[in-house]
Amino acid sequence: MTKEASLLDKYASEAFAGLVSPVLDDLNISLAPDDDLTKEDALVRMTAELKRALEKPASERRWVMVIDLRKCVGCTSCTVACIAENKLPPGVVYRPVTIEEIGTYPNVSMKFLPRPCFQCDNPPCTEVCPVTATYKNEEGIVVIDYDKCIGCRSCLNACPYGARTFDYGMTYTQATPDGFDFILGQSKADDYELMANSEYGENRVRKGHVSPVGNARKCHFCLHRIKDGMLPACTSTCIGRATYFGDANDSTSMVAELINKPNAIRLKEELGTEPRVYYIV
Amino acid sequence: MNKKIAYVLGMITLIIGLWGFYDRFAFGHENAAYGSYVSWGLWVALYFLFGGIAVGCFIWASLDLLFEVPALKGTGRIALWAALVDLGVGLLAIGLDLGHFERFYKAFTNPNWTSGVIEDVWGYTIFGILTVLALIFSINQNKSVALKVVMILGLITAIFAAAAPGKMLGMDASRMFWHSSLLPVQFIFLALTNGAAMLLVIRGFFVSPAENEKPFSILSISLVGLLAFNLYFVYLFFSQGLSGRIPDIVQPVNAILNGQYSLLFWGVQIVLGAILPIIILTQRKLAGSGALVGLMGLLVLLGNAVARYLIVVPAQQVEFLPNLSTAFSGRGLNLAYMPSATEWAVASGLLGVVILGMLVGADFILPLVSKSHKEA
Repeated sequence: MTKEASLLDKYASEAFAGLVSPVLDDLNISLAPDDDLTKEDALVRMTAELKRALEKPASERRWVMVIDLRKCVGCTSCTVACIAENKLPPGVVYRPVTIEEIGTYPNVSMKFLPRPCFQCDNPPCTEVCPVTATYKNEEGIVVIDYDKCIGCRSCLNACPYGARTFDYGMTYTQATPDGFDFILGQSKADDYELMANSEYGENRVRKGHVSPVGNARKCHFCLHRIKDGMLPACTSTCIGRATYFGDANDSTSMVAELINKPNAIRLKEELGTEPRVYYIV
Repeated sequence: MNKKIAYVLGMITLIIGLWGFYDRFAFGHENAAYGSYVSWGLWVALYFLFGGIAVGCFIWASLDLLFEVPALKGTGRIALWAALVDLGVGLLAIGLDLGHFERFYKAFTNPNWTSGVIEDVWGYTIFGILTVLALIFSINQNKSVALKVVMILGLITAIFAAAAPGKMLGMDASRMFWHSSLLPVQFIFLALTNGAAMLLVIRGFFVSPAENEKPFSILSISLVGLLAFNLYFVYLFFSQGLSGRIPDIVQPVNAILNGQYSLLFWGVQIVLGAILPIIILTQRKLAGSGALVGLMGLLVLLGNAVARYLIVVPAQQVEFLPNLSTAFSGRGLNLAYMPSATEWAVASGLLGVVILGMLVGADFILPLVSKSHKEA
């Protein structure tokens, strides 16, 4: 690894936050030297690992997400990417980023915590579903069968991470003025919102009170993208390379390396939920 | 006179409710105030209340129809009717709360036996069937053996169904305020209290004083005892929660005792819903007045409605993760909850159905009770 690349790697989050750009200036390094390409980007490596994992039987994969909190700058591009990818309506969010202010002036800093679904190996949400509409699939991802879900919202209360939200059937353009509907106004603008998304590869059009309206909804690690060899939207759009994704059963994978470090933690482990999302602290 | 006022009240509340029902069916959950973090609101609290009244009434009916307590002779049949009406209204409340009401049958075709909701659904379904059978057998004088068998099965089911909502909440380890084994037991006592209060309302307002002396006496004494038990449960529940100093429990308890819900708790649940009825019902001179006793029954039901609300809502206003509620803004992504106009309107409609349903019972079932009483 070149000197510049290792420095960038070390100061990645700060550089993106624009907090230590003077430091980089002092070091007189170029942000895009020609030989920077010698370092394999994490996304390239994870995509290759993903494709390798897809060659195995589904039951032998163990999808895991790792989020490096030291690198997260709280830009929420993962939140936005997830909303765009899954066409999430108002009130439905799969991956918010919580912001916590630490310390008192002048010694203040911010802590960011992206929160996807934790795809627990012992999920409380599936236990409480009265109609088995939510369950762990063969790959260990907690999914929802939208056609079974009765919308009782028991799972919303059971998830200790608040990772589920309810779809009220609203659109962002709702109650906005209507104009010439062939070019502008609500009736034209919400065409995009009502178009089918790709969740679970089902291509559901939002229409009236048809599912997923009236259902609980949650992050599914972008299963539809994984199936096609693509990383989850939140991972591929993370500007600080703070989110990692892969098969933890592959000992050579990036996520396997990361979760075996002593600074990898999981939230609320005392509940015995066995989450599949790790944080590097 | 009482009945005329009640009919008018029932019609008014039902008419208000019709707008709520229309809004719910036309716009789904868009105009409801519950969200993704406070996901259960007024309708769930009402489901617990009416379900509790139903099983409580059945248990009280068993004292007449199964154990044949002389002082409660003639009370069983109207109590069964009250159980049926309240059960129907409770199920309607939870049905309207579901995202997909039309799929309720999946609870029977795809049951997940680890779910507390399933215990509720199956418990109330079996209970409802047994209540209908008991009502039919109680009207048919030749079915006394069948009635006894149904009442025994119904009594067991009623106790199970009384505790089931408490268990459903109590098994949720993510909501520490609910996660107490006291909760299912408390729900049984709340149900018994509701049943006694409902019967006092019925008899207080619609039965002549001459027929009320003995039932009033036993129902009033029982209600006072049950209210005292409930107060003790509240003390146990809150003191246990506070002494553990677990923030997820302390926060809702503080909100109830001295926060945003303090007026509801101290004013309605404790003073109006428990202490005042205890004082009035223990006064011999006052306890003989039908309207006053009926009013006390109403106050107890109101207090218990608030109790259910305060069990359901404040617990959900605790953040799962620090600052999660401010991480992303949108419909239902906050911790505030105040029932919307639609929710209140639906609640009004449910109340209207109960009032009118009970009046129909008073007009068509009570005469039968009187007749059978005379025959006996």
